Amino acid sequence: MSTPVLQARDVSMVFGGLTALKNVSLNLDEGKIVGLIGPNGAGKTTFFNCLTGLYTPTTGQVLLKGAVLPGDPAEVTAAGVARTFQNIRLFPSMTVLENVLLGRHVRMRQGPLASLFHGPSFRRGEAAARDRARELLAFVGLGKVEDELSRNLPYGDQRRLEIARALATDPAVLLLDEPTAGMNPQETEAARQLIFRIRDLGISVVVIEHDTKFIFTLCDQVSVLVQGELLVEGTPDVVRGDPRVVEAYLGKPPEEVEAELQAVQEGETP
Amino acid sequence: MKAMARPLIIVGSIVVIIGALLPWATFVLNDGPYPDKATLEFFDAPFGLSSFRLYLEILGLAGLVFCFVPLRDKIRVLKAVGWGALGVALINTLFIIGDGGGFGAVTVADGVTAFGGIAAVIGAAVLLYGAFQLPAEPKVVINPKLPFWAEWLILLVAFVALLLLITETLTAGGHSGVSDPYIGPLFLSYLSAAGALLGVLWAVGVTKWISDMSERHRIFSIVVLVACAVAVPFTSLGNDYWMTITANIGVYAATAIGLNIVVGLAGLLDLGYVAFMGIGAFVAANLSGAVAAEFGIRLPFLLAAIVAGIVAGLFGAIVGSPTLRVRGDYLAIVTLAFGEIFVRVSQNNIGGLTGGSNAIPNIPDLSLFGTGFNDSLTIGGVQLPSGVLYYFLIVVLVALVMFVFGNLKNSRIGRAWIAIREDEDVARAMGVKTGKLKILAFMTGATLAGLAGAVFAHKLATASYDSFQFNQSVTLLAAVILGGMGTIPGAVLGAALLFVLPEELRQFSDYRLLFFGLALVVIMRFRPQGLIADRHRRAELADQDVTGESLDDTVIKEPVAVAGAKEAGA
Repeated sequence: MSTPVLQARDVSMVFGGLTALKNVSLNLDEGKIVGLIGPNGAGKTTFFNCLTGLYTPTTGQVLLKGAVLPGDPAEVTAAGVARTFQNIRLFPSMTVLENVLLGRHVRMRQGPLASLFHGPSFRRGEAAARDRARELLAFVGLGKVEDELSRNLPYGDQRRLEIARALATDPAVLLLDEPTAGMNPQETEAARQLIFRIRDLGISVVVIEHDTKFIFTLCDQVSVLVQGELLVEGTPDVVRGDPRVVEAYLGKPPEEVEAELQAVQEGETP
Repeated sequence: MKAMARPLIIVGSIVVIIGALLPWATFVLNDGPYPDKATLEFFDAPFGLSSFRLYLEILGLAGLVFCFVPLRDKIRVLKAVGWGALGVALINTLFIIGDGGGFGAVTVADGVTAFGGIAAVIGAAVLLYGAFQLPAEPKVVINPKLPFWAEWLILLVAFVALLLLITETLTAGGHSGVSDPYIGPLFLSYLSAAGALLGVLWAVGVTKWISDMSERHRIFSIVVLVACAVAVPFTSLGNDYWMTITANIGVYAATAIGLNIVVGLAGLLDLGYVAFMGIGAFVAANLSGAVAAEFGIRLPFLLAAIVAGIVAGLFGAIVGSPTLRVRGDYLAIVTLAFGEIFVRVSQNNIGGLTGGSNAIPNIPDLSLFGTGFNDSLTIGGVQLPSGVLYYFLIVVLVALVMFVFGNLKNSRIGRAWIAIREDEDVARAMGVKTGKLKILAFMTGATLAGLAGAVFAHKLATASYDSFQFNQSVTLLAAVILGGMGTIPGAVLGAALLFVLPEELRQFSDYRLLFFGLALVVIMRFRPQGLIADRHRRAELADQDVTGESLDDTVIKEPVAVAGAKEAGA
């Protein structure tokens, strides 16, 4: 087996006296989708922030393709890890296209002088970035609204735009923080299909989600975080059947959950 | 009330027309600010002598005509007419009351009656009230398909008309700018009437149409604009007084555009910005060969200006470096402190480069092919006023600064600056090296200010700490915000207003700053995005709750609203 594309080794994060994460490890293989679930306050977003350089882990390491990630979000993005945010954080008064172009920033090389004089190579680079941005907008299904201000988009479209912006950085790994929060079943289904298509591009994906149905039908591998510690990891089947998960996360009698999951499975399998 | 709209407008318009024809002032003053001219006869004089009466006649007639002619969006058109008429009437009435010593001046005194002012004010108010009763309509958009040459022609006409409107506004009530005691109200009346005209054009969709056209023909528009700027000395503004004023406006406009990079694009509040202009001025002064200069060398102006820009840029980087750690209000305090340090250092001549309170006077005049920049010039038989070459130099400066701003804004760097303004943490998470870019914004802005400062020192022939005080920084910042953040025309308009109005309002000496402040408050209340707003900025301020977020220091937060939506969706 090849080395995982993204690897977290015993990551701990301590804020003052509070231990938010305790020896959390995660392996993400290329072209896979890994889900991260856990109750509110379990440390999922903190873990994401450690993966993207927003926080520097108190102990432990994060490696991308075997190399330790730098401790600066901008450099982490340049290295190939992109993310979306739990609460949508677009640049609200930039247009849809400009938001995606901003994602291209890290892959463009025009310095201050080129930006000042707008020479031929500058214009080529700019045109290429625009083409790529339009391609990505079409990919997420926002091809027709590129000149809208992003703040005017409907909620679901804003989520998709955030994904397009993250994809514009040409990531090897995409981290999605609750991509279906606040979505209705149709939108959730569209999001699932979109994530599958992203995986098919060869990008590995980590998803935080509350919606267990969504996670179990989407992911190749699921990790469960409870109170900052990794409780269980494994395939959806393994995790789903684990009584500790059921107890800690779902808080319902196993039979009931089993029935619910059964129903979901029957509904989903083609 | 809707049924009342039309009768109210008709009655109001007629009262305005009648009011304009009645006498406005009752008495002739024997003392006051202009003992030798201390009369209000101007307002009692026959119709032809007082232009404000003409404006009121036109506005009153316009009210009547627009009331009957079928028009789309009648409410906005008539509101513009009403505001204009009310403005003209109020300005003149208040002036007479103020200078004439009370209400007696506009009513009855010594057996003379003068109800013109009161009638016009009431008529305009009724007209405006009537206009507000009209049904609201969607904004008119006109976009006829025309061949490109027709659009060019229209643009040309529009820009020339704008140029004439501006020159007429500025010289309303006298060409010299100082001799006429009524210049204040005359200027404001003209401004009010011109505002009504522009308001009507805006309401019928013409301004939007023309600005869209100029967007389509960007290069052509720029050429015409430059041509218009070059043509200014050939118009009624072509005298010494206005050459000096317009040159000052140009220098401050260039500086304001530079500040616009820092404040408007990157969103970093800088309260000590004029210090960079000061640095540029002192560097240029010291390299100019002036007797009081520290260095006895005289560099060619172009070289001196470049050095001034570079030195100011280096200081920009130094002042900008705290932005790596300090945000929002705290950054404003850091920059404020820098501005004060600069003033104290140059005032006390620490380092011996600034001449202290003696300043660096007698900076040699620039010259080109043997013609001094302060000399007057004759081109093709037309005698141009002195200082015209400085004016042209400053046109070049403004064009250069516009070029820098426009190109940087529409580039990878400019987008990153705007992203930093919108949400710095996310910009960083998207791979923007925010630290470097913030310092770059400070450096670029400072360099432009330094260049402007070098020109400024030569134009004034003096570099004195007194020109670079805190209130200048505030005025520049106000120019940027008033004009419209993040846009070039906004910064130019803001600088023009803030540096012309005090000149034109000399009339009101004591109240000048009061009026000025009041105007700022009114504009900020009703048009927070500035007079010429950036598309982005406009959207941002349309809904206030978004703006605060980007200044927040927390790294990631969960807004309640989204968390709530999540619960609902789960």
